[in-house]
Amino acid sequence: RHYGGYEYPQQGGFVPPDMMQQQQPYTGQIYQPTQSYTPASAQSFYGSSFEDEPPLLEELGINFDHIWQKTLTVLHPLKVADGSIMNETDLAGPMVFCLAFGATLLLAGKIQFGYVYGISAIGCLGMFCLLNLMSLTGVSFGCVASVLGYCLLPMILLSSFAIVFSLQGMMGIILTAGIIGWCSFSASKIFISALAMEGQQLLVAYPCALLYGVFALISVF
Amino acid sequence: QGGGSAVIDMENMDDTSGSSFEDMGEMHQRMKEEEEEEAEGEAGAGEEEDGEFLGMKGLRGQLGRQVADQMWQVGKRQASRAFSLYANIDILRPYFDVEPVQVRARLLESMIPVKMINFPQKIAGELYGPLMLVFTLVAILLHGMKTSDTIIREGTLMGTAIGTCFGYWLGVSSFMYFLAYLCNAQITMVQMLSLLGYGLFGHCITLFVTYNIHFHSLFYIFWLVVGGLSTLRMVAVLVSRTVGHTQRLILCGTLAALHMLFLLYLHFAYHKVVEGILDTLEGPNMPPFQRVARDIPVVSNAVLNTTAKAIALTL
Repeated sequence: RHYGGYEYPQQGGFVPPDMMQQQQPYTGQIYQPTQSYTPASAQSFYGSSFEDEPPLLEELGINFDHIWQKTLTVLHPLKVADGSIMNETDLAGPMVFCLAFGATLLLAGKIQFGYVYGISAIGCLGMFCLLNLMSLTGVSFGCVASVLGYCLLPMILLSSFAIVFSLQGMMGIILTAGIIGWCSFSASKIFISALAMEGQQLLVAYPCALLYGVFALISVF
Repeated sequence: QGGGSAVIDMENMDDTSGSSFEDMGEMHQRMKEEEEEEAEGEAGAGEEEDGEFLGMKGLRGQLGRQVADQMWQVGKRQASRAFSLYANIDILRPYFDVEPVQVRARLLESMIPVKMINFPQKIAGELYGPLMLVFTLVAILLHGMKTSDTIIREGTLMGTAIGTCFGYWLGVSSFMYFLAYLCNAQITMVQMLSLLGYGLFGHCITLFVTYNIHFHSLFYIFWLVVGGLSTLRMVAVLVSRTVGHTQRLILCGTLAALHMLFLLYLHFAYHKVVEGILDTLEGPNMPPFQRVARDIPVVSNAVLNTTAKAIALTL
């Protein structure tokens, strides 16, 4: 049996329903799970012996190759996004990016992990409500959190720049504005392609820009 | 009744099915605790309670688990039903169905007062634009507070900004809707929210400019012109929808006062620290500290000579 994601049932037979829907094969090549992750032993052998257990990263569903591929998608703002990105809810990558953001802020002398956590939670909730209201098909909270988390990557560049240079001059303002635009453009591009909301990219980009603007405010001040 | 029976004898249990969710959670918790107690060893002390609770001693473990499971399912179903009923945001869906062109057009229109007040002007019942404007105002306030190093003792910067902006939007809208109801104006709550929300566009522009360029006179010009234009627009729309001079006066006077005063409040409450710092630094055109020779005035020279002569004479 082929599972689209990496979560395996721990108890016999209990499969969460949303996992079943992810079994459609991906059209984009980079989202094809590589064969090495399909375990040779059947799933029913789970918990039988220590040697039969899969590696920890596989069990947790963290696939560094996938994270890297999705990161590249975000970093090329002009590249057309594939709608199937939203099929896979991967929160490991966003978690790594949030921690990296907090770490770069720490290097600049600002211990603000709490703010990053709070703002990202409230921001994801707000975007989730807004996108559910604006799109014809609904969207799940995990997808929203995943996309917003991946598009936080350029903000890490900004905060690492803030370690060495102060961002409060004119150049800092221009750089901040550029980075906010980059983040919100990527996020809105992915949302638009996944939710089929043509013509509304600006309407989705603006709330993303506000959210990333608050992150930028933490980096700058 | 054997272990293979599909019917669970609930006779000896408290009948809490259909009651509140908390009771079920508590019961489930109690079940879990009793299971744990049993799992540790012989449940000596808890045996009477168990027996009384379940009515069946031998199958205590299994039965407890089944019942707990069932009650948990029922409780969960009730909670999700209540959630889908009260937290159903789909009723707001039609108010977010907009195109970017429409939003831009409405933003520009919110600064242009209408001339025709003899028949009711159309108000778009849309909530996307106003919501985004309120969030923009929050962001501008935050930026202003950060640049002026405002310290808020009882609370956070973010909480204060969100509380102020949302409080104004929702509170003043509700108050104006109530007044409109009293004055018999033809306006619905969503339209009122929309009107007031778009009126915040003027506030956003004014604060964005004046938080970065610090001149009092510039602020007052913007307050009058930009604030005034958006107020005039809102007032004209309301006047077109109200009949009677007194009612029009009450509604429009209140709205104009609240709108303009809010802009004044935002400017002065969230940015005055900057003015203080600037005054200290620039001062009343003080030149830098210089060393100048003390010039002794001519009078004292004369006094010195006279004194010297007087002393010489006495000697």
